[in-house]
Amino acid sequence: MALHHITLTVNGEFEQVDVPSQMTLLQMLRDKLALTGTKNGCNAGECGACTVMVDGEAVNSCMVLAVECQGANVVTVEGLAKDGVLDPVQQAIINHGGVQCGFCTPGMLISARALLNRNPEPSEDDIRAALVGNLCRCTGYVRIIEAVQEAAKRQKALN
Amino acid sequence: MTINAHPELPDFDYVRPATLMEASQFLAQHAGEARPLCGGTDIFVRMRDGLWHDRYLVDVKKLDGTANLACDAAGLTIGAGVSMNRVIAEAAVRQNYPLLAEACCSVASHQLRTRATIVGNLCNASPAGDTIGACLVLGGRLRVHGTDGFREIPLEGFFTGPGKNTLRPGDIVTAIHFAPLPAHSAGTYIKLGRNTWSDLSIVGLTAFGYPDETAASGYRFKIAMASVAPTPLLAHKAQDFLAENPPNLQSFDQAARLASAACSPIDDVRSSARYRKLMVYQLTKKALQQTWEKLTR
Amino acid sequence: MTPNQPATSVPHPIGDSVTRVDAKEKVIGAALFSDDLQFGPGLLYARIKRSPHPHALIKRIDTSKAQALPGVKAVVTGESFPGMTGLYLQDRHIFCRDRVRYVGDPVAGVAAVSEAIAEQAVELIEVEYEPLQGVFDPEFGATSEAPVLHPDLGKYKVQNFIFPKPGTNISNHFRIRKGDVDAAWSQCAAIVEHSYRIPHIQHVPIEPHVAVAKVDENGKVTLWGTSQSPFAQRNLIAIALGISQSDVEVIAPYVGGGFGCKAGVSMEALAVAVASKTKGKPVKLRLTREEEFYTAFVRQGMVAHFKMGCDAQGRLLAMQNRFYWDGGAYTEYGVNITRASGYSSSGPYDVPNVKTDSFCVYTNHPVGGPMRGFGMPEMHTGLEQCIDELALAIEMDPVQFRRINCVQGGDTLVTGMTMHPTGLSECLDKAAKAIDWGRKVAPSAPNKRRGKGIAAMWKAPAMSPNASSSAKVALNEDGTVTVSVGGQDIGQGSFTIAAQMAAAALGVPIDWVRVATPLDTNYSPYEWQTVASRLTWSMGNAVAAAARDARQQILELVAKAWNEKIEDLDIVDGNVISYKSEETISLKNIAIYGLPLPNDQGWIGGPVLGRGNFMPTYVTGLNAETGQGPRAVVHYTTGVQAVEVEVDLDTGKVQVLRGVGAFDVGKAINPEMVKAQMEGGFVQGMSTALFESLQLKEGVLQNPSFVDYRIATTSDVPMDIQSIIVEVPQDDGPWGARGVGEHSMVPTVAAIANAIYDAIGIRVGAPPYSAEKVYLAMVDAGLVKEMEG
Repeated sequence: MALHHITLTVNGEFEQVDVPSQMTLLQMLRDKLALTGTKNGCNAGECGACTVMVDGEAVNSCMVLAVECQGANVVTVEGLAKDGVLDPVQQAIINHGGVQCGFCTPGMLISARALLNRNPEPSEDDIRAALVGNLCRCTGYVRIIEAVQEAAKRQKALN
Repeated sequence: MTINAHPELPDFDYVRPATLMEASQFLAQHAGEARPLCGGTDIFVRMRDGLWHDRYLVDVKKLDGTANLACDAAGLTIGAGVSMNRVIAEAAVRQNYPLLAEACCSVASHQLRTRATIVGNLCNASPAGDTIGACLVLGGRLRVHGTDGFREIPLEGFFTGPGKNTLRPGDIVTAIHFAPLPAHSAGTYIKLGRNTWSDLSIVGLTAFGYPDETAASGYRFKIAMASVAPTPLLAHKAQDFLAENPPNLQSFDQAARLASAACSPIDDVRSSARYRKLMVYQLTKKALQQTWEKLTR
Repeated sequence: MTPNQPATSVPHPIGDSVTRVDAKEKVIGAALFSDDLQFGPGLLYARIKRSPHPHALIKRIDTSKAQALPGVKAVVTGESFPGMTGLYLQDRHIFCRDRVRYVGDPVAGVAAVSEAIAEQAVELIEVEYEPLQGVFDPEFGATSEAPVLHPDLGKYKVQNFIFPKPGTNISNHFRIRKGDVDAAWSQCAAIVEHSYRIPHIQHVPIEPHVAVAKVDENGKVTLWGTSQSPFAQRNLIAIALGISQSDVEVIAPYVGGGFGCKAGVSMEALAVAVASKTKGKPVKLRLTREEEFYTAFVRQGMVAHFKMGCDAQGRLLAMQNRFYWDGGAYTEYGVNITRASGYSSSGPYDVPNVKTDSFCVYTNHPVGGPMRGFGMPEMHTGLEQCIDELALAIEMDPVQFRRINCVQGGDTLVTGMTMHPTGLSECLDKAAKAIDWGRKVAPSAPNKRRGKGIAAMWKAPAMSPNASSSAKVALNEDGTVTVSVGGQDIGQGSFTIAAQMAAAALGVPIDWVRVATPLDTNYSPYEWQTVASRLTWSMGNAVAAAARDARQQILELVAKAWNEKIEDLDIVDGNVISYKSEETISLKNIAIYGLPLPNDQGWIGGPVLGRGNFMPTYVTGLNAETGQGPRAVVHYTTGVQAVEVEVDLDTGKVQVLRGVGAFDVGKAINPEMVKAQMEGGFVQGMSTALFESLQLKEGVLQNPSFVDYRIATTSDVPMDIQSIIVEVPQDDGPWGARGVGEHSMVPTVAAIANAIYDAIGIRVGAPPYSAEKVYLAMVDAGLVKEMEG
């Protein structure tokens, strides 16, 4: 079992980690870097609870090997708020009551943030499409979709 | 699927060769225990399920040209390491090969498409592969690198069974290439899943058409069907029928019947064979009609 | 009601949609769930050897190779655990000893230094089976031809309201005999009879089950896990191990969705059993998503036969119901679901003559657990379609038919209990109005058909008659308040409700209140279980009582110090004020340190700690032969849902275009959170209506992953979901509140089925109403043409 030494940026921090080949990015974040905000819901790329951004793109971290992240820039839910100020998607999901059990929330927020980065004015269908890989069993999604709509507006007002 | 799917990926070695030749040789030397890695979205699932036991995954994503996406006068070339999201985001693809972008959009979820690749989808050879139909009807050709160098093979004939293809040990599909499309062509992908979006297809239907003076009807149509046979399938009889008969609702209906007759679906957890056959008929009609609308717009 | 408030006023923040107390930590990724807890390098990992057979005898188990694998710390089998366990009926061993009864039944467990080694060890365990004939249908299972799965049923310990039939597979038979059904049929102008088969489905919380167990050298057990019921787990584990409840500590951090599957004890027992052989070292067991599908509690399947009749004016005269519940290999909650569906088997209607037989039947299927609605969604799915059919049979509008028959305060219910005031009629009228009932809307395309459907529901908390709650309210140095409860927040918002109630009853701003987390049975006050939509009502009563107790202590202290009467004092916004002397003092100065007496004569007071509890005392037993008794349940929450759907004639796909829910919640403590429950339940119900089924083939699950067990996604939900709050107060609810968590998915399947019927004139039968099922039904009915040639 070969160990690979990798360096990468996670939430703006420089990190060095020794990882075995088969370790996923999800495992590395949770078990090596103690960033447990990213959740393991299925480990098969189906539920989206483990979604993080790698080089700006939302991705299932259970479907990425840690070793593939050499030099990558990773953002997890813990990296969304800046200096204690919530990201507009975080604030909006609170405002709209889009959080219940909270287990899908980290992945949902990352998918939403990645969407607004690539498409600051998404249509309702754009939002549905961006979040279709994030399963939620509590909310019924409506409040989450509304929250992303609000976040887009708020972001536009800020810029 | 076993009750005791592995909680995590089983032990293997991640290998990143420096050159394509090195990669091909490594894969050939370790035939049966090494596999090229593109996005991994199928490989990881199968390894976790305990279905695949490879000792080595050989990352081919950043090897010579595999990360390239080129769309120019010579056609479209999509490297093995190019994610579906990159394909979708490429304006030239959306402009010139909209069918391909449409097919990519239908695959799973956004975050999975960040990893998933068209070449991976092809090599995986699932009868349900969403992008395979588009690649077939657009006449895709695979660039393959083996231990004796490059060769090019047409996609048609590449699939030999569920999960099976004609690749040999040491082969790496580095890219898929499409020639420039015939003028005024149009295509449609209709996917029927259980959910509105994101599901695997119960039936996936791709139609593609273009004016062609050599055809009696003045048009050629291609029809590809997913999830209704052991391999992705072209509906040849339906295609031939449409080359001979003028495009209209009646001939689309007849072509749809021929397509339905040509497929050999099974009952599985997603659908019955009976429903699949009926849906091939319905969706073929619809896909041809929609394609025709685009052609005559 | 706080003493100084007139009965009609509701103090803030009751009725205010305050922000969830846990929202921020959940959105920044700081909220800790079970899998997030860190245990250091001493942590061991468990994996479980499971039966591949639905029914077989265990002939031999050889663990020697597993024991010898380096890194393995313990291998356990049923041999070490002879005790029986079970919530209502003790019918199972922790690990199978002589027989396996479902695919996934645990046979052995391993603890090792890594999950991978534990897995290897599991593969090295050899088990020899002798496969037996299985039972895969509950109705067949109830017959004398079926192989008997529990030959020792007569010897099992059972609670006195459950009635197993030894020598059969029937683990409970609940009867209702009200009036004279047989005599009533002849007076009916119309009678309908239908049978329904409801598939097994699963809860599918996004967080899989996790348990970490540690057993000390002195036998004390600590369990960290995904738990809706830490106290029930403590109790069941203590009983199973024969130790004191005080020697079991269950610590339950945030739960990533429960819906019932994290109630009671399931996989936690395995972790504890394995940890008992690794003294002092914690052992972690987490289920993979595949194991979750194979082995976690399921919502059991059901076969239901309904017969009901009404007179020419549309008054329901009689109902006769036979329910066969597919309880699975062991009954766990199934026997009580059987009972609950029996005592509510009239649906939310006033029916003079009712005969019900509800059977729980052992099968070789996964174990039936409680799921959101506890039998009510399954039962209402058939019942509410029959109601529509009956209305149709006498050519009456289905809303009008329900209006005539729906249950009212004062009605004699199916058990003989008298109904309390309820707002079901109001729910019905408001839901019908909101969906524009009676107004046909043109479909969006020529190949589509549009329809509307409505369904009513009721549900009582299904629980032990004396299920109780307790709470503590402690004040801190700065006047802030820590509320301790034993009920879990599984997403429904119970911590926020507790904070609101404490703030209101005490008289402090909401942002002064904290809820003590995680739940820990050593420190949290007792709570029966987080099930049955009972926390707002039961735990809420305890919290309000505790806060009032603290308030009383503070007022007594200040009254003494100021030499005033308590009646002249109040606590407003965190200050004690006197309406008489107009003195005021902040709680922050007195909560811990008390108050000085005049002239330096010493101090009075001390840390303020309020306590409160609540236990319903009035629920009576029911006659075993007739199901009759003065008060079967604490109360019923009632409600109505209406939907509008479109059916695609080319594919059979059903699209839900909009939904309306109206529920009588007594009093909405937090209206937005109540609406969130209504929406979430609606979509979960819609998901079960359109997509969900555990496909069991001869006991073997065919779709054990999200790839093929589909649930609703963002692509499937309508944005237009209206939630209407109706408030007819509950006499013993805090500020009149009763629960609504489960109710919003009870009528959904029936409402959608009725809408599909309205659209295409076909009863599609068993859910889920997949495109395939609907399309083939349309083909078979001749509505669409099958392709010819």
